[in-house]
Amino acid sequence: MTTLLQVTGLTKQFAEHKVVDDVHFILEDKTSTALIGPNGAGKTTTLSMLTGLLKPTAGSVRILDGDLRANIGFLPQYPQFHPWLSALEFTEMAARLNGVIAKKAKVEARKTLEFVGLGDAQHKKIATFSGGMKQRLGISQAIVHKPKLLLLDEPVSALDPVGRREVLDLLKGLQQDTTILYSTHILNDAEEMTDQLLFLQNGKLVEQGTLREVRQRFDEQKFVVEFGSEEEAKLFASPSDRVVGCYVYIEILNEEPTMKKLLHRLSVCTYTIRKVERQTASLEEIFMKVAKKA
Amino acid sequence: MMEELAKVPWAVIAPLIIVQIILMIVALIDLRKIHATNGPKILWVFIILFANLIGSIAYFIVGRKQS
Amino acid sequence: MRGFNILLQKEFKEAWRSWKFLWIPLVFALLGMSDPLTNYYMMDILNAVGNVPEGFEMLVPELMPVDLLQASIGQFQTIGLLVMMATFVGIISKERANGMATLFYVRPISFGAYFMSKFIVMSTVSFVSIFAGFAASVYYTSILYGTLDLGALLVSFCTYYVWLLFVIAVTLMMSASFKTVIATTCGFTVIFLGQIVDMIVGMFWTISPWKLPSYGILLARGTMEMLDYWWSVIITVVLTLIFINIGIMMMKRNASSTKI
Repeated sequence: MTTLLQVTGLTKQFAEHKVVDDVHFILEDKTSTALIGPNGAGKTTTLSMLTGLLKPTAGSVRILDGDLRANIGFLPQYPQFHPWLSALEFTEMAARLNGVIAKKAKVEARKTLEFVGLGDAQHKKIATFSGGMKQRLGISQAIVHKPKLLLLDEPVSALDPVGRREVLDLLKGLQQDTTILYSTHILNDAEEMTDQLLFLQNGKLVEQGTLREVRQRFDEQKFVVEFGSEEEAKLFASPSDRVVGCYVYIEILNEEPTMKKLLHRLSVCTYTIRKVERQTASLEEIFMKVAKKA
Repeated sequence: MMEELAKVPWAVIAPLIIVQIILMIVALIDLRKIHATNGPKILWVFIILFANLIGSIAYFIVGRKQS
Repeated sequence: MRGFNILLQKEFKEAWRSWKFLWIPLVFALLGMSDPLTNYYMMDILNAVGNVPEGFEMLVPELMPVDLLQASIGQFQTIGLLVMMATFVGIISKERANGMATLFYVRPISFGAYFMSKFIVMSTVSFVSIFAGFAASVYYTSILYGTLDLGALLVSFCTYYVWLLFVIAVTLMMSASFKTVIATTCGFTVIFLGQIVDMIVGMFWTISPWKLPSYGILLARGTMEMLDYWWSVIITVVLTLIFINIGIMMMKRNASSTKI
């Protein structure tokens, strides 16, 4: 693995307020990274600094072999286009501004529009496009020049469930040969395509790692047993267990002995047992925990 | 008064009228094609038709919505 | 100047598709027609409209063709500049405010190229416009009053165009520096207030960009002090170049204020 982007001590201060505060991270080549955080955590500001639009107050962004602007594709949360251009004209222009030669730009623009599902609408004026179509066009202008790094600000947040599914599938198709960094506050989306998670809160990077690492750190390892009645649950629970209604939560100290002991206790008891499961926290729960900890 | 008007050489007036008509037609064509205007479209139709010269120019300056 | 050709194409497409190449020149043509026509038909209009007393003779000074050209330039200077500046003053600031600039600013383009593409489009529209305006004015003057000397016409046209390039540089510099409303205020102040100030207290100096339009006419009349003329032209061109550079600098500096 090679490091594509290295971010060191990135800080942005507006007046007295630090919107992004001393953020460090690395993006490995051809990996996907999700930048998660509540609204106002500094996600968009961080992305703006990575695009070079915003100058950091302190810190640096370094990309493998040189010029940042030449190597990125950027999709803002609400991309705005010149409405009097057609989708093809805009995508072609985007490619040419990134140095693709004229002849190739047209071919690439057509191919990209086909890929994002705008093949039939390529000659239509952007003024007539719906929100979903604009988002696709936004993706096409970001990828048409085959950038090394793709920066996406809330790429699916504004879309309806169907549109979200389609755009996520599109992005998954790009994962193999592009490094992707995208921000989102919708955690299911992050769970779906990510090698690395970056939790941002109040401008600080409060947690980072692979999905698995973060999970291990924050998952409360528990078994849940559902009984037929609250009575039974109370009777079954040992003092260290937690009881909520018909549910008993048993903390896992070390995996195997706990499981064996539990199974043994269950097999000898006479209560009605509805369900036994091992609980894994969703990203949402982890997120809440990280937020609380910070 | 009619005599005075008859003295007006229409060859002189014609270019003026032609410019006015071109402006009006172009404004109407654009109004037909454009996605949205500032204010109701039908209002602009009347402005362009009845305040012809000023109306057409006003349409191009403030009537067209850019985004 | 990376991306200059492509950006220039984009700006021309925009100006063309929003009919700017058609309606602005037509407005200037109308402005050019209005003075020769109204002056010539003043008596007829008065007679047709009002109760002019029997035997009333208005003291109308004998107008020379060049007087009408001067009157037409006066029209361009007020309504013409107002239309031109109002149309173009948002060309950079609006793109920032609505976020359309973002997808351009994140690409490896040069801000010089982006600024100049806008400058060239605006100066092309201006060229076509004052050409239409001069042509209309001269056409009516020649059929109603008499012909103008072609050389005189050419010098006043070129002089006026140099002044217009100055106006364009001011407009775009303001657009690059401020939000649309402030840019409009500042631009109008520099151009229109500048004219008024130059008119009121301008007798104390002879070299100034705001004097160029009237110098073009004096040149056509053959009563121009050439040294003042050339110095004014040089000052105007130098200021235009300085404003262009400030504009490019401000466009780059304000790139981060584009809506994301």
